[in-house]
Amino acid sequence: MDFYRLSAHEICRKVKSGEITARETIESSLERINSLEKGLNALITRVDERALEKADRVDRMLSAGEDPGLLAGVPVVIKDNMCVQGIRTTCASRILGDWKPPFTATVVAELEKEGAIVLGKANMDEFAMGSSTEHSAFGPCSNPWDPDRVPGGSSGGSAASVAAGYAPISLGSDTGGSIRQPAAFCGTCGLKPTYGLVSRWGLVAFASSLDQIGPFARSIEDIALTLQVISKPDPRDSTCNPSKRPDYQSVLDQSSLKEKKVGIVKEFMDYDIDPEVREALEKTIEVARSEGAEIVELSLPVMVRYGLATYYIIAPAEASSNLARYDGVRYGISSEEEDLMDMYLKIRGDGFGEEVKRRILTGTYVLSSGYYDAYYLTAQKVRQIMTSEFKEAFSRVDTIIMPTAPTPAFRKGELLDDPIQMYMADVFTLPINMAGLPGLSLNAGYSRKGLPLGVQLIGPKWGEMQLLAAASVLERSFGPSLIAGGDQ
Amino acid sequence: MSLLFTPVIGLEIHVQLATASKIFCSCSTDYIGAVPNTNVCPLCLGLPGTLPVLNAKAVEYGVRASLALNCTVRNATRFHRKNYFYPDLPKAYQISQYDLPLAEHGFINITSEDGTLRPIGITRLHLEEDAGKLVHGTSDGRLTGASQSFVDYNRGGVPLAEIVSEPDLRTPAEARQYVSVIRQLVRYLGVSDGDMEKGSLRVDANISVKCSDGRWGERAEIKNMNSLKALERALEYEIKRHIKMLSEGKIIIQETRHWNDSQGITISSRSKEEAHDYRYFPEPDLPPLVLPDGYVKEQLDKLPELPWDRKRRFKDTYGLSEQDSATLTENRDMADFYENCLISGGSPERTANWLRTEVLRVLNENKMELKDFPISSHIIAEMIVMMDNRKLSNTAAKEVFEHMIENSSDLHSAMSLCDISAGGIAGDQLRDLVSKILEQNNDVVRVIRSGEDLNGKKQKYLKGLVMRETRGQADPSEVSWILASLLENN
Ligand SMILES: [Zn+2]
Repeated sequence: MDFYRLSAHEICRKVKSGEITARETIESSLERINSLEKGLNALITRVDERALEKADRVDRMLSAGEDPGLLAGVPVVIKDNMCVQGIRTTCASRILGDWKPPFTATVVAELEKEGAIVLGKANMDEFAMGSSTEHSAFGPCSNPWDPDRVPGGSSGGSAASVAAGYAPISLGSDTGGSIRQPAAFCGTCGLKPTYGLVSRWGLVAFASSLDQIGPFARSIEDIALTLQVISKPDPRDSTCNPSKRPDYQSVLDQSSLKEKKVGIVKEFMDYDIDPEVREALEKTIEVARSEGAEIVELSLPVMVRYGLATYYIIAPAEASSNLARYDGVRYGISSEEEDLMDMYLKIRGDGFGEEVKRRILTGTYVLSSGYYDAYYLTAQKVRQIMTSEFKEAFSRVDTIIMPTAPTPAFRKGELLDDPIQMYMADVFTLPINMAGLPGLSLNAGYSRKGLPLGVQLIGPKWGEMQLLAAASVLERSFGPSLIAGGDQ
Repeated sequence: MSLLFTPVIGLEIHVQLATASKIFCSCSTDYIGAVPNTNVCPLCLGLPGTLPVLNAKAVEYGVRASLALNCTVRNATRFHRKNYFYPDLPKAYQISQYDLPLAEHGFINITSEDGTLRPIGITRLHLEEDAGKLVHGTSDGRLTGASQSFVDYNRGGVPLAEIVSEPDLRTPAEARQYVSVIRQLVRYLGVSDGDMEKGSLRVDANISVKCSDGRWGERAEIKNMNSLKALERALEYEIKRHIKMLSEGKIIIQETRHWNDSQGITISSRSKEEAHDYRYFPEPDLPPLVLPDGYVKEQLDKLPELPWDRKRRFKDTYGLSEQDSATLTENRDMADFYENCLISGGSPERTANWLRTEVLRVLNENKMELKDFPISSHIIAEMIVMMDNRKLSNTAAKEVFEHMIENSSDLHSAMSLCDISAGGIAGDQLRDLVSKILEQNNDVVRVIRSGEDLNGKKQKYLKGLVMRETRGQADPSEVSWILASLLENN
C-alpha cells in the first residue's frame, strides 16, 4: 500500500483509529526508500530495524489502550547533525568517524515521545556548511525532481526525503537558509522558527547564534503539528525561550489575510533573479492581494547591501570555534602521531572537507587580534542595525514576502568551484537568521522544466502564529506540496 | 652612585569555587581521589551538540567574594570564549569572561612590615571554567618528551574565580601575605577551601623590576608555585635574576617561566607554547548574565563578618591580645567556636587561653579540623566555668579534657571516670588526706618539725605528694595552709 503518500495528520489519525498499523506505515516508507535511495542518496544512516521495533511498540500501546501521542506511527527523517543516542551521527563529515552520541537531541526526544518513528539520518552539507548537499563526505544528494540537480542545502537530505515521500515530515537545521532553500528546491514547506523557539540541545553547532532547528513537511498543517511537538521550552538550552508556546494548529482554519499588511522588499524586486522565480513571487503577491491583504512596499537597504557580507563574518567566526573540538582526542577519527601538533594537523587535515576548512580559516582570521574590530565587531554592529531595520518594518506590516532563493535548483557541480556564487544562493534567507526571525518557504508552483519554485514568508520575532496563518491561506491557492516521482 | 631596584609584583589567583556541581553542567566537583573520567557528562567532555547552563551557585559565590574584596559588581555581564587547542580543554575553548568581568575596582588590606595597613588594588574578579588534567608519562610530569599522555576530565568545568591584583605588591613577603589574606577570605566566605597544595587556589605572578636610572625591565609571568613558600622563593629568585640582568645592562624579555621547586629556580617556557592568540568573542550559547534587582544588596547583607573585622572586635570587646585575636579569628570555625564558648558562659580570657593552647594542640597533633573535634563548645565552656569558679583546677581539667578526647565521652562521665569531683577536694576531706600523707611520711615530718628543713624543700615535697594524691583537685593555697597548720600542732 502507498501509505507513504499520507500526511502526518492522516497517518496519526489512521493509526489511532486502527485503519492501518504503525508497522505498515513504516514498511511502506522503507519500501519507498529502497526503491529510490540509490538514486537520491538522501540518507547517510538508515535504522530500519530500530524503526520497525518502535512501530511495533506504537501498535502495542494502541492495543493496550494507551495513547502513543500526536505523531503516532509517523515516520520522520532527522538531519545528521542532530544526536540520537546510539545512532551514528556524522554531520556528513569524515572527522566524526562512527561516533554514536550517548544522548538524544531534545527535538528528537520530543518527536519520539509523541510516537514519531525515526527512519534514518539525512544527508547534508558537511557541518551544515553549504547550499547544495554536495559537500558531504557521503556523496552528494540528488533533487527528487531532477537527479542531475541539487536538492539545495545544507538540509538537502531532509528536504529530499519529504519531497520523495520517504516520510511526511523531517527535521533540518537552518543557519543561513539551510531549511528554506532546500524546501524551495524540493518543493516542500520548510520553517525556520524564531531563534530561541526550538531547543538546540543535541544539535551539533555550526554557528550558535544563528542555528535553529525546524520542520519540513508537504503541508502547512503538518508543519504546525511538528512545530508544536518540537518547540517546547528546554532548560538545557540557555538561549531557548522559557515561555509556554501557543497552539500553532489553532490558526490554520480561521485564517484569512483580510486587514493584513503584507510587505514586499523594494530592493529585492529589482534584484537579478530567475524570471520564473520572479513570476512565482509576483503570483504569490497577487494571491495575497486577492485574499484581502494590503501590499506595502518596504525598504531594507542595510540588509540587502550588507546581509551576505555580515553573515560570512559572523557564521564562520562562530564555526571556527565550534569546530575546534574535533581534535581526535576523545571521539571521531584518531591518529597516533609523535607530536601533539602533528596529530591536530593530521586529524583536522584529513577529517574536514574543503568548504569546512574554508570557513574555519575565514572565521579564525576575522577573530584574530588586529582584525577582530574591523570584521567581527563591525559585523555585530551591522547585525544590530539589520535587526532594528526589520523591527521597524514589522511595525508596519504583518508578514514580508520575498523569494527563497534567486533560482530554482541548480545543476550538480554548477557552483561547486565558485563559492561566492554558492553563497549568493542564500542571499534572501541569511538576513533572516541574522535578525533571528521566523521564515517559511512555501511551494508556489513549478517551472516549465518541472522544477519547484519557492517563495519565502517572513514574520516578526515569535510571530510563528501569523506566519503559519498567512502560509495556510496561500497554500489554499497553491495546494499542498506534491510528492516527486509520484502520480500527479 | 649605586642603582636602586624596585620590584613590581601583581598576582593572578585562580580560586576553585566550592559549589557542589560544575559551572555549566550538573557533574560533581568532588574530583580529588575520584577515578579518572568518572565525574563527567556529555557537556563537560565537550561532546558535539551539548550546551552550557550557568550554575547560579557559582555566580553567588563569585559575587560574595567580589563584595568582600570591595569590588563593584556588574549587574549585567557576559561570557566569552577563549579559544586554544589543548587536550585538557575538550571544547578547545574555555568559557571565561573578558570585557565585562563579574566585578572590578576592589582592594584588600595587607599589613606591611612596619605594621601599617596597605591597600592592594583588585583589578577584577571573573568567573570561568577549569580545564581537565593531563598526566604525562615523563619523570617531571611535563609534556616535553612524554611518550604517552593521559587526560582526566574530572576537573574540567569546575568553577573558578580569577582574582587579578593591581601591580601593587613590592616584596615577596607582601605577595605571600596578600595570598594568605585572600585564602583566609575565601575560606571565611565559604566559597572555596583555598588549598594551594590540592590546587584549589593557584597563583601566577607577574613581576618586573624598575631601576632608579629609569629603566624598567619587561615582566615575567611565573607559574607552578604550589605553596606560599614556593611563591616567596620564586619571587625572591626572580627579583635577583632581574636585578642581575639590569645591573649587567642586559635586556629582559617578556616571557612565561615555570618555578622548579626542587631546584629552586625558574625556567623559561618555550615561546612556542605561549604564542597564543585566544580569539576571544562573546559566548553565543549563553545569554548575557543579568543579576536580578536587589541581588547584590541581598548578597552584601548575607556576607559574614570578615576576618579582620572580627579580629578587631575580639580585641576590643573581649580584651584579647593582638596575637590571641589573630589566632582565634584565623579561621571562621575557630572564631565561631570561641564565641559559642562565651555564649555558654566561658570567660573570654581563660577560654582564649584554653583554645589557643589545648584545643589547637589537639587539632594539630591529630591533623584534625575543628568540625571533627569531639568536644562541643558547650562542654569546653562548662569546664572553663568550673575553673573560673575554682571548682576545677587546671591540672584536673587537662586530665578530663584528655579523657574526653580519647573516649569522646561527655564531661560528667569523664570526670567520674577520672574520679574527679566537681568542687574538688577541700575542707575536712582535704585535711584528712593531708593527715594521711603526713602519717605515711613520718620521717620527713620529723625532719621538718626538727627545724632542719631550712629552705622549705621538704615541705614542698609533701605538698607535691598531696597535690598528686588529689590529682589537682585541691586548691594549692588551701593545701599549703592545711599542711602548715598540721605540721605546727602535733
Ligand atoms: Zn559534566
